[in-house]
Amino acid sequence: MAAACVCILAVGVICYFLFANGLPFFAQYAVSDFISGKEWAPLRGVFGILPMIVGSFVITLGALLLGAPAGVLTAIMMARFSSGKAVRLMKPAVALLAGIPSVVYGFFGLMLLVPFTRSILGGDGLSILVAAILLAIMILPTIIQTSRAAIEAVPNAYYEGSLALGASHESSVFRAILPAARSGIVSGIVLGIGRAIGETTAVLMVAGNQARLPTSLLKGVRALTVNVLLEMGYAADLHRASLIATGVILFVIVMAVNIIFSFYNRRRVLQ
Amino acid sequence: MEIRKILLLALSLTLCAVVAQAGFDASRVISVVSREEGSGTRGAFVELTGVLAKNSEGVEVDSTYAEAVIANGTNLVLTTVAGNDAAIGYASLSSVLHSDTVKALRVEGVEASTGNILNGTYKIARPFNVVTNGNLTDPLALDFMRFVMSREGQAIVSDDGLVSDANGQTPAYVAAGLAGSLTIGGSTSVAPVMELLGEAYMELNPDAVIEVQSTGSSAGVTGALDGTYDIGMASRALKDSEVEKGALGIVIGTDGIVLVVNLNNPLEDISVEQARQIFTGEITTWADLNK
Repeated sequence: MAAACVCILAVGVICYFLFANGLPFFAQYAVSDFISGKEWAPLRGVFGILPMIVGSFVITLGALLLGAPAGVLTAIMMARFSSGKAVRLMKPAVALLAGIPSVVYGFFGLMLLVPFTRSILGGDGLSILVAAILLAIMILPTIIQTSRAAIEAVPNAYYEGSLALGASHESSVFRAILPAARSGIVSGIVLGIGRAIGETTAVLMVAGNQARLPTSLLKGVRALTVNVLLEMGYAADLHRASLIATGVILFVIVMAVNIIFSFYNRRRVLQ
Repeated sequence: MEIRKILLLALSLTLCAVVAQAGFDASRVISVVSREEGSGTRGAFVELTGVLAKNSEGVEVDSTYAEAVIANGTNLVLTTVAGNDAAIGYASLSSVLHSDTVKALRVEGVEASTGNILNGTYKIARPFNVVTNGNLTDPLALDFMRFVMSREGQAIVSDDGLVSDANGQTPAYVAAGLAGSLTIGGSTSVAPVMELLGEAYMELNPDAVIEVQSTGSSAGVTGALDGTYDIGMASRALKDSEVEKGALGIVIGTDGIVLVVNLNNPLEDISVEQARQIFTGEITTWADLNK
């Protein structure tokens, strides 16, 4: 009970801090200019975060396209296609993947993925592509663990019933179990989105962090989170306020994703 | 299965990276590595090289190339440049002096060294400031500053690669044996030398505790003003808005900024104008630079 209160209190305090510090900025700088501005030159008083919003969106989408199918298929394999021995090996491996600090992922990306893409595809190597690949790996454990729990929670009767109707093992899993576990799988993917959009250190190390609209997957990009971390140490006055306001926008986006997801879930339950 | 795939991928990537290390291709596009807006190093660099210039309306504009990679610390700049044949970046002399992972360029024929910064021949240099909220009153803070500006303190400053203004008249430090603790915070560039100063001071005054936090120049000034830090650090001159609020700066040494390239890059020397052209994106390939 006390722990729950602390948890709610923490959320409340964070909300209060963020909005109390971030909103005064909008009194001095129009929200529309802030969100739709294409130029970021804080020392000259120009604060446009459209490139960062696009940046966060693009790398998150990329991570999802690469990571979600891999994660869900891995979960299906662990739940329904593997021997107990293989699962005993994979479970700690996935847990380990979840426990690796993001700076280590960033270093891995900087030392291996970046030189690799640079030698194969040219450019700086610090790019949207590398950031998306790295994030895809980072969200795998979240998606795998949640999806696997959802798949294993489906009553075995679904599977047996499907087999009894003459369906094969594969089609029973994909046609009977998977649809039943859909809401859990989607929530795993939404958690993955949350992780990807919130990831900072690893992205900072491999994305190049240019504050302008990217024109290709091999160009760098700056994410919203990176913008805050990158400049917070040196920012003063309105510049500092603009970074907290960036945090407010990020918070609103994450909230929106969660609300849309819970709305979607409730509608499904009602159906 | 997944893990094995990732390990395999990592292994093949390492192999490719090793294969890609041969020869320098001058037709490659220059990978410009800069620092974030607000960084003291970037502020000093763009000002000293002319990347920061007045536009037609008389407003000072930092025209750092939009495609420049932005790294948020000296170490990330060095790591990025060390890992990319075509990269160029900049960092403070003190952080590059002991590094053998990148190559420091001469500027207009002058090697980046303590001696050359002191005699004014090396063009790209900036002050390291200690910041206080008005005049210091705390006896321990006063005594520490006396140590920093003493012959012993300035010897540490110059040993660290900074250029000290100290001359033969600088007084020697006599330990006062004060007790208490000081919190010093700010510029990540000033922090390493401040740590050395703090350690030396604590050796002479065993009852004192000096804690150094590296947070950034602006955080250092803000912290000194609001009392978070007893003494702040800034690797740039103070802004007018900061001086109006009561911030006082004392220069403890001068730092040179060094242009660094990958070890495979044959370039040895660069002019300030060439540096400006590279960092504003007027020159984009190594071949164009040598024309």
